[in-house]
Amino acid sequence: MPGKVVEKQTPKPRFINAITGNLGAILVGLKYFANPNRFTLKYPYEYIELRNTYRGFIVLDMKKCIGCMSCARICPASAMKMVKVTVQEGKKPKPYPVINYNRCIFCGMCVDVCPTEALAHLPVHDVVYLSMDEMDLDLERFQQKVESPSVKEGVPVKYVFDPEKGLVKVPASEGGES
Amino acid sequence: MSTTTTIPKKLPGMDLKKIGKDLYEVFIGPQHPGSGHMRIIIRVDGDVIVEADPDLGYVHRTMEKLAEGREFIKIVPLMERMAILDACNITLPYVEAVEKLMDIEPPPRAKYLRVLLCEINRVASHLYGMGIFGVFLGHSTMYMWPFGDREVFVELAEKLTGARLTHTYAIPGGVRRDLPQGFKEDAEKAVRYMFKRLEEYRKIFLDNPVIQKRLIDVGIISKNLAAKLGIVGPNVRASGIKYDVRIIEPYEAYDELDFEVPVYEEGDAFARAWIRIIEIQQSLNIIRQVLEKMPEGDPMHEKFWAKAPPLYKKVFQETKRVKLIPLFANLKVPAGRAFARAEAGRGEVVYMVESQNAMKPYRVRVVSPSFRNAIVFKYIVPGHRIADLPAIYGSIDYFPPEADR
Amino acid sequence: MTDWIRLLIDIIFWPPLFQLVIAPGLVAALLVVIFIIWFERKTAARVQMRIGPYHISPRLGGFLQLFADLTRYAFQEIIIPTAVDKPIFIGAPLTALVLSLLPVVSMPYTSTPYYYPLPMDYSLLLTVALSTISPIFIVAAGWASNNKFAVIGSLRESFVITAYELLIVITALSGGVAALSYNLVDIVNAQTPFYKWMIFTNPIAALTMFAAILMATSGFPFEIPEAENEIVAGAFTEYSGLMYGINMGSAYIKRFVYSLLFTLVFLGGWLPYKPGIHLIDGYIIPLVVVLVKATIVMAIISFLRAVYGRFRIDQALDGAWRIFIPLALIGFGLALLEAYMGVYA
Repeated sequence: MPGKVVEKQTPKPRFINAITGNLGAILVGLKYFANPNRFTLKYPYEYIELRNTYRGFIVLDMKKCIGCMSCARICPASAMKMVKVTVQEGKKPKPYPVINYNRCIFCGMCVDVCPTEALAHLPVHDVVYLSMDEMDLDLERFQQKVESPSVKEGVPVKYVFDPEKGLVKVPASEGGES
Repeated sequence: MSTTTTIPKKLPGMDLKKIGKDLYEVFIGPQHPGSGHMRIIIRVDGDVIVEADPDLGYVHRTMEKLAEGREFIKIVPLMERMAILDACNITLPYVEAVEKLMDIEPPPRAKYLRVLLCEINRVASHLYGMGIFGVFLGHSTMYMWPFGDREVFVELAEKLTGARLTHTYAIPGGVRRDLPQGFKEDAEKAVRYMFKRLEEYRKIFLDNPVIQKRLIDVGIISKNLAAKLGIVGPNVRASGIKYDVRIIEPYEAYDELDFEVPVYEEGDAFARAWIRIIEIQQSLNIIRQVLEKMPEGDPMHEKFWAKAPPLYKKVFQETKRVKLIPLFANLKVPAGRAFARAEAGRGEVVYMVESQNAMKPYRVRVVSPSFRNAIVFKYIVPGHRIADLPAIYGSIDYFPPEADR
Repeated sequence: MTDWIRLLIDIIFWPPLFQLVIAPGLVAALLVVIFIIWFERKTAARVQMRIGPYHISPRLGGFLQLFADLTRYAFQEIIIPTAVDKPIFIGAPLTALVLSLLPVVSMPYTSTPYYYPLPMDYSLLLTVALSTISPIFIVAAGWASNNKFAVIGSLRESFVITAYELLIVITALSGGVAALSYNLVDIVNAQTPFYKWMIFTNPIAALTMFAAILMATSGFPFEIPEAENEIVAGAFTEYSGLMYGINMGSAYIKRFVYSLLFTLVFLGGWLPYKPGIHLIDGYIIPLVVVLVKATIVMAIISFLRAVYGRFRIDQALDGAWRIFIPLALIGFGLALLEAYMGVYA
């Protein structure tokens, strides 16, 4: 049952619309003036506690990594590179991924392609780096879980869907599963 | 070694042109509050425009050429950059073309999931267009409202895909995420909210006498002209031409869904505003239907999913994330040439993908809807007043990054 | 010692000076304008799912943001392009500011003759006449800017002037006709009791004058001379820093002055308050009543920004000449009828 074409016509303005149209517009404006519907996030005083499925910053679990290089190969922005590191004395150096956040587009393909789940997304989307060099992470920093700068002072909030107000901002503790 | 510099006689795009004695040349853009990343050179006689010259290319990023140097899967996030608020729609034909070359068909559930995100994107894209339209007419509330309400659908898309805008959702073989928990309820809430809001849009914008004065009989694209110029999308349907890829050549799950495609006869800016509102309504209907009719099954083609190790299945069960097998990184696509099209928010988007049995395509050709719509300015703007230019621009919903690629 | 204080009070509250410089002149006008701009931004934000100015003083709802903006305008570099006609470019906005403020002196804010700045016999005519001087300097500023958008903007301004001035003259005079006097004090005093305010007895003229004020001061839906998406900033495209602030300020002051006139003619001025004879009860309180009413009129104008888009120039002129001028004439006729029937006699 495919879609069908429906021919329509734009409503022709009648003289009465000069009155009803103006009144309707002003009444809708007054309605929202009296009872505004706003869900602005007062960042950084508040921050969104992101879902676990959010494609945020990426962290490496070095123990799980098998050095298969799939992540570096699939990266569309060439943000991921492999570096050879000698983990144990006397053993051959093994490749591990490092990431350059100057280039990363957060498509999450590296996380999805990793056969051992060594890479994972963090529910963080805002991290401050002081220089571009700093955004080129080395292996050690790639394993640290970065934290949003607003965590320290901000209040975590969540947005839940609502049929009347669209989105409603609630404290993260009340948000429930969303 | 002479120190005199020779000035090239003609710099591209900067050649001086003689204009009539009573004409006044005004450059709208690229740094004008009423233009996007483009320039429209208009020549006015008094307040009436006699000539308009759209000058595109300010955000050209050589996407087609870049695509030739990338593996097939990496082109999906690249092409998304054309219209990030319409990401699934704009990359879907590419994915379909690659699938045609590989001779695989995505499982039914993946098709429905793709349609779901496409329609969420279409709503978001139309809302964006309405917002820009509103501010071009000086209606600041109509600017803020659609942008605020778009947030609801962006949030919905984030819930589904994990990213607000560049979802990279459809990939050859299927999609990257299955429906998360509670998505159906949330989508229903969003849909109900949006239906309610569309009624208010009508009251404050479309029924507003000021807006009606500005839009009715402005920028009329006649049926003939629309067909001659080959414009697409809501713009051509507002001119009375029944052309929608979802109907002519149903792709994905569109042949199993029940929806209406509105066609207006008038062809003026008012019809183009109305058609977007009706299309948003229809998209909301489709979102409801998709969630009801969604078949069970895997969201990824078995060629890539059957051989997946147990860990992949476990991750899928827990997080609904479809893990990609490492084969995706160097997907070898059989030689051939494939062609696919889809109805994006702004109109028909066409891809031609040519492969030579390699990991990278030989050629990816994109024809994006805004590129086909841009020519309209040259033909319908003359004869209108300067103040009509933003109204026409907004009604066309022209999106420079999409046109320039 | 007390003599000195008395003298000082007499000097400060000498009506011609006090009205031009302090209230409702420069100082009060500036405060009202700042409040109105803040109100406009907050109103639009409430309607538009936003918060508006907030961060700079969360407890005051971001009110101090306007002072921050003012400071920025005051200290920003004023760029004067080489291609402009300098004396006019600099002089025109300043002249427009002063001239747009001038009508406040010719209006009464009390019925106590001691506090009239001028003899009030023909104050309505004088006010209307003074209020029509300033727009020419905005046209001059746009012309001197030597910028295409500025020229288009000032042309639009001049078109709009021709349309709205007649409207304001006719509608304001219809108040005088009804009350059988060009004396604004008589016009205000005639509007007792409450239901005899001219907005109730002559709503057509009131509505027309309201629309004319919108047109005169670039209020939505007639925000045509400065339409941002079409002609950048209209006549003020080349201005920057304090000069731009002055231009914007003079537009708002013009709106304030027209709101005062509207208050006096249609909203019963200082009524229902009955002015006494002393400084406080005879001058300050009625003045405050008038200011509050004028601010409410301006607030309504500000609210319309959230509801309307803008007309095209030809549609606005068409509306002015074909709809509002007949309406104004009907209002004038109504006023004649009222005068004949002796409603305000």
